[in-house]
Amino acid sequence: MERFAGLLQQLPRAQGEMLRALHLAQEELGWISRDAIRLIARHLRVSEAQVYGPATFYAEFRHSPPPRTLVTWCSGPSCRVVGGDRVRRIFEAEFGCRLGENTADDELGLWLGQCNGTCEQAPMVWVNGRVVGPLSMVDSVKLARRLKAGEDVIEWPRRPIKIAPATFVDAEATYGSEHEHEADGAD
Amino acid sequence: MSSVYDELREAAELAAAARRSPERPLVRVDLSTSSIAAEADRLWEALEPLAAQHDVELVRVGTLGLSWLEPVVEVERPDLSASASGGGAVVYGPVRTEDAAEFLAAALGDNPAEDASRWLIGARTPTVGVPPLADHPFWGPQERRLMRLMGIIDPESLDEAIAEGAYGALDRAVTMDPMAICDLVLAAGVGGRGGGGFPAGQKWKFLLGAPGPTKYLVCNADEGDPGAFVNRVLMESDPHLVIEGMAIAGRATGSDYGFIYIRDEYPLSIERMQLALDQARARGLLGRDIFGSGFDFDLEITRGAGSYVCGEETGLIASVEGIRGMPKIRPPFPAQRGVFDQPSNVNNTETYANVPLIVQHGANWYREHGTESDPGTKMFSISGALERPGILEVPFGMGMDELLLGCGGGPPDGHRPKGIQPGGPLGGLLPASDLGLKLERPPFTERGVLLGSGGLILFDERASAVDLTKYFSEFCEDESCGRCTTCHGGSQRLVEVLERIMHGDGREEDLTRIGAIDRTLQNANCLHGQFTPYAVRGLVNYFRDELDTHIAEKRDPARVAPGLTRYLIVDPSDPRLEEAAALCPTACIARAPVEADDESDEGEDGAERSEALGDWRIDQPHCIHCDVCREIAPEAIRVEDRYLATLSVV
Repeated sequence: MERFAGLLQQLPRAQGEMLRALHLAQEELGWISRDAIRLIARHLRVSEAQVYGPATFYAEFRHSPPPRTLVTWCSGPSCRVVGGDRVRRIFEAEFGCRLGENTADDELGLWLGQCNGTCEQAPMVWVNGRVVGPLSMVDSVKLARRLKAGEDVIEWPRRPIKIAPATFVDAEATYGSEHEHEADGAD
Repeated sequence: MSSVYDELREAAELAAAARRSPERPLVRVDLSTSSIAAEADRLWEALEPLAAQHDVELVRVGTLGLSWLEPVVEVERPDLSASASGGGAVVYGPVRTEDAAEFLAAALGDNPAEDASRWLIGARTPTVGVPPLADHPFWGPQERRLMRLMGIIDPESLDEAIAEGAYGALDRAVTMDPMAICDLVLAAGVGGRGGGGFPAGQKWKFLLGAPGPTKYLVCNADEGDPGAFVNRVLMESDPHLVIEGMAIAGRATGSDYGFIYIRDEYPLSIERMQLALDQARARGLLGRDIFGSGFDFDLEITRGAGSYVCGEETGLIASVEGIRGMPKIRPPFPAQRGVFDQPSNVNNTETYANVPLIVQHGANWYREHGTESDPGTKMFSISGALERPGILEVPFGMGMDELLLGCGGGPPDGHRPKGIQPGGPLGGLLPASDLGLKLERPPFTERGVLLGSGGLILFDERASAVDLTKYFSEFCEDESCGRCTTCHGGSQRLVEVLERIMHGDGREEDLTRIGAIDRTLQNANCLHGQFTPYAVRGLVNYFRDELDTHIAEKRDPARVAPGLTRYLIVDPSDPRLEEAAALCPTACIARAPVEADDESDEGEDGAERSEALGDWRIDQPHCIHCDVCREIAPEAIRVEDRYLATLSVV
């Protein structure tokens, strides 16, 4: 907290620094505590309510300490069309907590993540920020159980992403004759 | 060209050349978010000592866009060049960390086409004995303008960017009259790439005409649409293109300061943009008196914090100001009152990135591709049920089938396309029969959907249109800023209706109810609420059969809705059921009859619900429809597409 207070002093005293101050708090403390809100309010010379507003509006700011191992479930549609919602139900059942919660001992957490476009790994989760995917449903159960057993799961076997056998195709056959000129141009 | 820029470029060319010798092979490793998700960072670590052994130069690059083949590695060998103008660059992937040594030896050997055939994708530049990448269905139809240097230059090296011509357009722009730049951009016809399509040149003129002295530029890199990652790739692979575009926009609008608002989900973009800003500032490309012209311009990064509605320009402005990112009613438009109440201009990242190319090559060159309504090229990120998901750049007006089925390869494993989800959660849904639509705004608008910012998701018959609609509605509800009841209340009601339908409680009058919610939401204050019903409208218009089956027959043909499906054991003798039971997350597959300790299991329908067949049975109330058992024992378990009783499994 002292280190955070020190770093906070380096930010200009302007409303525009709000998000930077909140990010700083979360990086230094792991979450936005009541004390952090008070410090930011004092430094930026605004009311505590004016800090509390943005701190609760933005989904990335957390108001409880993070778990030791965090599973962030990708909620994106590309994951969903290949079974992403089943992955969520598996983790919820295995961890015994709902999406957005930590287990009672704060060892494990299952939080919602937004799509960041690594959709070729779908369906996927992040384990402590690292992408793990594509997950079959059996993979998901095994991963959840290894995490529950206290393993950090640094190494997760990568299933080879399936690749179409014929990488090279006859351009004309693929696109039809109206695109002939493009195939010619490409040569 | 100013002498200042000439000197800068000369020095950069020397510095860039010094990093590489013309005889030694170059090994370019794609280090972007997509490739790191496929463990390219570990591959890099494995390649580092090997590169020293083989005496090759290891270079960090952005992405070529071949996401499904990540980690992608390109090996450029001057000795194999098949062209006098240089060449010999062969693209390989996916290269797994454990194969690093074997791969490098093969790719650097006498016959890479054969020895490294496991990884071979194609030759980006003419190479002896290797088929060109241009013949690849993903690569061939592309027109790479914005992506010209992506995957080729080191995004963390300003020298390499300048050596390839970066900031040359800015050098020209600082001597141009601001109005002339606006006219040029207007003549090129660059439309807002965030999806609105409003002519950028026109928007700039508004800001140019606004009273000074303080005017702000804002770059919208809050790419919140799930499935869209165009801006991320731009910032990670060629950050200086965005900075140069913004500086030119600054010159054109009389603005001397800008904010790049990047969503927090893109840490690598934030890191690379910040580095690029620092480098540009150190070289005098940002700051006071750029190129000795008297033009001042500087930029800072605002890091978002996870709010979709901040992608709306007034929400974005509020977020830059450090308050809750709630959209405001327009007018006043940002050009009148924007960031900190000063005149401002907000454009998408991709819009800014197009500007240096237009200044460099002219409006006519720009219009060589594309259509009347949407000139130029567009980057698209394609994902979902695709053989080849990735990011690519094609001219506007290309057929969507050509992009998704041709480049993207369509759904894998012989699945059939069912529909397309363009333009993010607010974009709507299209049926597969619309795959022939041209990729430009008008045909999409006519069909009641949005082309949006470049994310296209294909789904096949395994996906449920009702479930997707529920997801998008939930997303809109969750991300509603909460200011107007029309939006947050409307989306809540919409989710409730859809949820009920998916749990088997759909009623005939739900269609009327959905229509009423749709009409109400159209009166929301901002686009977020107004576009929220697009998804459900797509469902009603194009997937009506499926919706009716849910409501009237209480049946889900895609077998996705937990309340409308049930897992049944059809072959109790299958030995794999043992493993299935062991892995079942809720332990609801059991050999012995389910103990009646839970009250809900008791009563006269208890026996019916616990589907007993031989030894094994599934305890229905506890089944979460996760499909684990069926993955293990596909022949022993069947999914029924109906479930008469209502369950509350969410």
